[in-house]
Amino acid sequence: MAKTIAIVEDDPAIRANYADALRRQGYEVLAYDSRPAAMAAFALRLPDLALIDIGLGDEPEGGFELCRSLRALSARLPILFLTARDSDFDIVSGLRLGADDYLTKDISLPHLLARIAALFRRLDALTGSPPPEEVIERGDLRLDAGRFSVTWNGQPVDLTLTEFWMVHTLAKHPGHVKEREQLMRDAQLVVDEGTITSHIKRIRKKFLAVDAAFDRIDTLYGMGYRWKADGA
Amino acid sequence: MLRVSLRTKLALVSLVLLVLPWAGYRYVSEIERFLLESQRQSLLATAKAVATALHERPRLMRLSTPLRTVTPAAPTISQEAAREGGVADGTVAPVETAVPIPVHSDRLPDTTPVHPEKELASLLQGAERGDARFWVVNRDLKVLTVVGSLKSAADEEVVTGRRWLAWLIQPPPQDFDDSLDKAAQATRPEVTEALFGAGAVRVRKTRDGRATVISAALPIWAADNVVGAVVAEQTTNSILSVRNVAIERLLILTLTVFAAVALVLLGFATRLSSRIRRLRDEAEGAIDAQGRISRLAAGSRAGDEIGDLSRSFSTVLTRLGQHHSYLESLASRLSHELRTPVAVVRSSLENLRMQGVSQEAAVYVDRAEEGLGRLSRILSRMAEATRLETSLATQERERYDLAAVVRDCVEGYRLAYPHQSFDLRLPAAPAFVRGSPDLAAQMLDKLVSNAVDFSTEGVAITLEVTMEVGCQRLSVSNRGPALPEAMAGKLFEAMISMRPASGGGEPHLGLGLYVARLIAEFHGGRIEAANLADGGGVEMRVMLPVA
Repeated sequence: MAKTIAIVEDDPAIRANYADALRRQGYEVLAYDSRPAAMAAFALRLPDLALIDIGLGDEPEGGFELCRSLRALSARLPILFLTARDSDFDIVSGLRLGADDYLTKDISLPHLLARIAALFRRLDALTGSPPPEEVIERGDLRLDAGRFSVTWNGQPVDLTLTEFWMVHTLAKHPGHVKEREQLMRDAQLVVDEGTITSHIKRIRKKFLAVDAAFDRIDTLYGMGYRWKADGA
Repeated sequence: MLRVSLRTKLALVSLVLLVLPWAGYRYVSEIERFLLESQRQSLLATAKAVATALHERPRLMRLSTPLRTVTPAAPTISQEAAREGGVADGTVAPVETAVPIPVHSDRLPDTTPVHPEKELASLLQGAERGDARFWVVNRDLKVLTVVGSLKSAADEEVVTGRRWLAWLIQPPPQDFDDSLDKAAQATRPEVTEALFGAGAVRVRKTRDGRATVISAALPIWAADNVVGAVVAEQTTNSILSVRNVAIERLLILTLTVFAAVALVLLGFATRLSSRIRRLRDEAEGAIDAQGRISRLAAGSRAGDEIGDLSRSFSTVLTRLGQHHSYLESLASRLSHELRTPVAVVRSSLENLRMQGVSQEAAVYVDRAEEGLGRLSRILSRMAEATRLETSLATQERERYDLAAVVRDCVEGYRLAYPHQSFDLRLPAAPAFVRGSPDLAAQMLDKLVSNAVDFSTEGVAITLEVTMEVGCQRLSVSNRGPALPEAMAGKLFEAMISMRPASGGGEPHLGLGLYVARLIAEFHGGRIEAANLADGGGVEMRVMLPVA
């Protein structure tokens, strides 16, 4: 059965474009232009994934509201923010409300589709029909690129997809410096160069929450970042 | 331009008050004129009274003593008088031998049974006043008797008390020459007139010219004949004294008033100009070096024109501030607003491509996507400064080694700009500052990218970290064109770029150095640009306080 994706977006052109692209991938798409319309529909039936804009019509924070309500309805439902707002503040707020990822509208459709596919795979891994493992192990780090899960010292680290891909890119070749641009490309990142710093910061924090001595991500000012190899 | 402060101007204006003493002086002079006139009148009246007493007594007008009798009391006077009289008027030459009998006639030898002088003197004595002198002259121009003196004792006291004003107000002279040149006196016009039967008053100087004397002469009648004349003389000293006292009081009063008013005006002007100065300082400081606009406080509640001025300044500043923040937010709002239409175009193009386009059409889709990519970069540049500003607010500060950051960065730049060489000079000791190393790297990115763009090809860019008093100095200098004068202060403001407009390539919005400035300020430091000493390049200096 085709997965259902709900798009809540007030701009009709973007809504239609995304809907078309997703339908072409075989998803069933439900498009809404406002929070009340979306909520009314969600009350009847939850989609398999929600793609939400923050500013909805005359509700500048409507997307945040919607995310909160949706999260209340389902703890598992993947929620993606897709918005023109890219300030650190908005990203942090969105992720704190329980969104699985925060994407800006700069993202290309192929990237978006890849994200959505990855989110579904991660969901599948959790719900029982596990996809094949694609494990990278770097000392204490264990990355499963098939299931998009990360463990450090055996403890799971809860990363968003964006963050996962960044760690994945860095850890794939330990000791190699990843320039910001490269990081963005490899990680299918659609964040601006400027926000990479704050992404890295958030990743470090998440690892530090698991292990207070975590220091594997190195900043090389003016160049980029690298994953410190064991014993390095 | 000559700068005259408001206070000085008001002080000058207050000099107009000096007209007061002048006007007062005019008034006193007028009074003096009246007093003189009344003195003349009263002197005339006195002379008339004396003359009336002597009417119809021709006997008294005769000389009782031999003409040659000379009183020992005033020999010099007589001789002098005789000489002068002779020179003055040849027609009265015989008079020179007729030396008159002085005041103390009782000491003179009695040569006539009757003593007309005595009688005359006693008659005149009755009319005598403190400072008046009377004399009587007969038809032969002989002075018969003289009573009284022109000098009075009372005046001297007045004068001594006001000695300090003497340089300004001439005190009435006391040591004037009051000698009576009887021969000459007797020929004076008013005497002559009196002898012709008409009373006259005349004002003259004393012989030494130091005092002014009013003399009134009236005829003495016997039947229808003039037998002699009475002359009353008085100095104007008493009036001068009164006038001097008046002028003196006037001076003291007006000077006091002047001083008081000038003080008040000066105080007022000082307050006024200090308020204006405060307003000026505030107006100047309202827009700080960072271009931020604050409100005015000075006199904003005052109900006068300065208060109005301050309020309208405030209004102007508020509007300016609104406009300023509008401009500041314009870039980020524009980038935000443009994102949606860009997303529409992008997703449409991608849908198009996914549907499969012909070989020919693909070229155009490629071009459209390339243009879109450039547009996206412009948009993200525009938002960069604003994003940085918001993130600075929450950024934590840490202590780090600036030299290490610069070393790392330069390694990166050597990769990023393969055709550009870098000359790195770092201190031996770590250069600790407080802030964010990530941001410092971002700042250096901007400075270096700027330096690379303006650098002469083949010449190294110098990066140097030096320790100065209380701060670490990071300088990035390149050889190349010097900064134009006009750009000196503006370089680090938002949306200011001195790059020539170039077609294609990377967009330049003039935000790079602005971002650098924000980061320098985040570190509690400052940034400045200067031309190299030889004018062949530019140096950007960042001063960060030592941590």
